[in-house]
Amino acid sequence: MAYSPLIEQLIDSLRALPGVGPKSAQRMAFHLLLRDRRGGAALADVLAAAMERVGECRDCHLPTEDEQCPICASDRRDPALLCLVESPADVFALEQATDYQGRYFVLGGRLSPLDGIGPAELGLDRLEERLRAGEVREVILATSPTVEGEATSQYVAELARANGATCSRIAHGVPMGGELETVDSGTLSHAFAGRRGY
Amino acid sequence: MTGQAHPVPAWVVHRRSYRDTSLLLELLTRDHGRIGAVARGARGQRSRWRGVLEPFQPVLVNWAGRGELATLTFAEAGGRPLRFPGTRLAGAFYLSELLLRLLRRDDPVPDVFVAYGDALTSLAAADQPEDVPLRLFEKRLLEGLGYGLLLDSTADTGRPVDPGARYRYELEYGPVEADPEAAGLVISGAALLALAREELADEALRGEVQRLMRAAVGLYIGARPLQSRALYASLRRTDLSQEQEP
Repeated sequence: MAYSPLIEQLIDSLRALPGVGPKSAQRMAFHLLLRDRRGGAALADVLAAAMERVGECRDCHLPTEDEQCPICASDRRDPALLCLVESPADVFALEQATDYQGRYFVLGGRLSPLDGIGPAELGLDRLEERLRAGEVREVILATSPTVEGEATSQYVAELARANGATCSRIAHGVPMGGELETVDSGTLSHAFAGRRGY
Repeated sequence: MTGQAHPVPAWVVHRRSYRDTSLLLELLTRDHGRIGAVARGARGQRSRWRGVLEPFQPVLVNWAGRGELATLTFAEAGGRPLRFPGTRLAGAFYLSELLLRLLRRDDPVPDVFVAYGDALTSLAAADQPEDVPLRLFEKRLLEGLGYGLLLDSTADTGRPVDPGARYRYELEYGPVEADPEAAGLVISGAALLALAREELADEALRGEVQRLMRAAVGLYIGARPLQSRALYASLRRTDLSQEQEP
């Protein structure tokens, strides 16, 4: 059977969400229409406003509706420390897990030569400008532990050194509560090669 | 392209995200050539393939299905993981980009499988200057695809190449004896023979070989530039202690 055009359109639009197929989209649509009109209307309003107004922070590229995100705007954050991450979600993960007091730079991806993503496509020239300004003393590389993340880190480390900043990278290793025999060999070899004085 | 009775050795050449939790892999096997395969759920939190399907690593795999894309049914590490320090990582990207650009899927060339593995292993081991495995892979890849270069005798007269002489290399033909003022792709006999014997310890000869291979590879990869070459060049910008770009 076919739904009326507007309902059909609603179901189709809900499928833009990740992990939502036709079945769940239909469930969501009917939930909003039959059980939670007010919630649905509020969702529509805030969605429209967010799509209209959210851009990115001019310094770190974190999504925000202001010119600067709260982290970059805060004067309690150390401008000499810059942490490089791949996605906005990484910033929130680090904010929850650590007491890091510096600032961030969100790349929005990683260098991936085999997919045609080079330094220019990633906007690494903007990072270079920022490093050249000279305020950053230390760059903390927090890209993901993949070959693309590693290539990105190497590239940024060269940029940092060329501009007189020191560079460190977050450790890669055995997860907490894990047992060595169940850790994959790539991770274990990284962890072993990167062991520290104890 | 159906599955195997037992898992077979393969190299992960490339890997990209596919749908919400899956990976799309390009694998290189000895007897089945390059295979495109989907690893379902490989990016999930609890995937048993976490950390196994990483680019430039040896794996043991099995797969099912016919057609353009196979479905991965088994994967585990196929050896000690390889790690590529510094610009050698850009070298590994280069080998893989070249392979993906020149070798089609389901076109098995056992020599190319061996050459790719040798080149990655040598890059990771850092047992020789990093451009040596790149040059040897270029040579063996072209050979494997049927575009092998004539290196030990001249194309027009068939005389053996003299290490002391200079030659003009005509692509898709071979070396021809050149007068001293010859223009174009001029290369010494010593460099041709060094490449033929795969003995590239001499840095000056490697420079000549690089020019030749760049022109030869350029003939087949088309106009679109190689991204890994740009990455390599930019990594070396401030790191001049390293060797030639690919």
